[in-house]
Amino acid sequence: MEFPISGVVINPFILALTGFFVGVLGGFFGVGGGFLAGPLMFWAGVPINFVVGTDLAHMTGKSIVSARTHRALGHVDLRLAGLMIIGTIPGVELGAQLIERLKAVGNIEEVVGISYVVILIAIGIFTAWESVRALRSKHMDRLDVQEVVGVKSLIHRSRLLRIPPFIRLPVSGVEEVSTWAIILVGLVTGVLAGFLGVGGGFLRMPLMVYVLGIPTHVAVGTDLFEIIISAGFGTITHALKGNVDVLIALTMHTGAAIGAQIGANATRYFSGPAIRMLFSFLPIVAAILVLLRLGI
Amino acid sequence: MTGRKNISHVKDPSFKPMMRSLALELMIYGPLVTIYFLVVFAFAKDLLVRMYHEILVVYSVVALLMIVAQGVLLEALTSWLLRKIGLRH
Repeated sequence: MEFPISGVVINPFILALTGFFVGVLGGFFGVGGGFLAGPLMFWAGVPINFVVGTDLAHMTGKSIVSARTHRALGHVDLRLAGLMIIGTIPGVELGAQLIERLKAVGNIEEVVGISYVVILIAIGIFTAWESVRALRSKHMDRLDVQEVVGVKSLIHRSRLLRIPPFIRLPVSGVEEVSTWAIILVGLVTGVLAGFLGVGGGFLRMPLMVYVLGIPTHVAVGTDLFEIIISAGFGTITHALKGNVDVLIALTMHTGAAIGAQIGANATRYFSGPAIRMLFSFLPIVAAILVLLRLGI
Repeated sequence: MTGRKNISHVKDPSFKPMMRSLALELMIYGPLVTIYFLVVFAFAKDLLVRMYHEILVVYSVVALLMIVAQGVLLEALTSWLLRKIGLRH
């Protein structure tokens, strides 16, 4: 099928299948999946200048579908999402400024690439270690505990941040937390997302769980809500530069919309630690893809 | 001070009815999404190409709206159809 906006001929089934696969992952783990969709789109024949913008467009639609399903399940904390966005937006700008500064030093791609790999591997290993610990404790105690956070010290540490104003997050089951702690998490993920040039879902989800103490299912749903805002904004900015092929995005979304529904519904049948354990493989796969791109 | 309630976010659904409901929903939603794409491709393709080359600002807004519509409107239509045929209340 010919896609006249980007001027390429691509099999639409490959695009829809890519969308489906990334949709399932996105709905289940609360990530945009750009780290996987990007290389797959490029492999399918989407021109490189259209890859990022078109991926963001399909990511917006897919996240809407997943977030709606998660919202119906009570897994979206709008208050938390709104506060995190306040930190994320300046964070992304700070990260982008950092990149500009580093450009003067030179060899920016290698610096960013290696930083990315180190962060991804650290997240993957930590999440795997923690979730296995949480799953073990759950089984040993024979308790009906669906939300076991294996490492409690990080959550306790964030509680030390007792700067008012405080906020209650009833959807997340958090009775009182400093607004600044939430904004800080948003800021940190924003800086990393801006610096690494990624959506940041794979950073935000574990930080929400480990630092703010948000239940995994709510972290997944809330992260998807944030992705709608950030990817929607990204779609507009890339489209204004002529880097979005909406026909390719719509093709991918035919698969992604179905995949996202399946992924989001599947979270009902997994406990928080089980989702985190499965999630831990994602950053490792992403790290391998970055290493391959860098030719290391 | 911060605290967490002892809450469980994993429901204990009956697996079969849930899967049946999801399968039914996807049986309606899947074709709708595909038809939407084919209709856009058949009737709006040329218009979109022209907008892309001539009025990029309008193209950007329309592109986002089309993606949002594919996600939101079609899901709403699916829910409405399911209610209409008595499979969802």
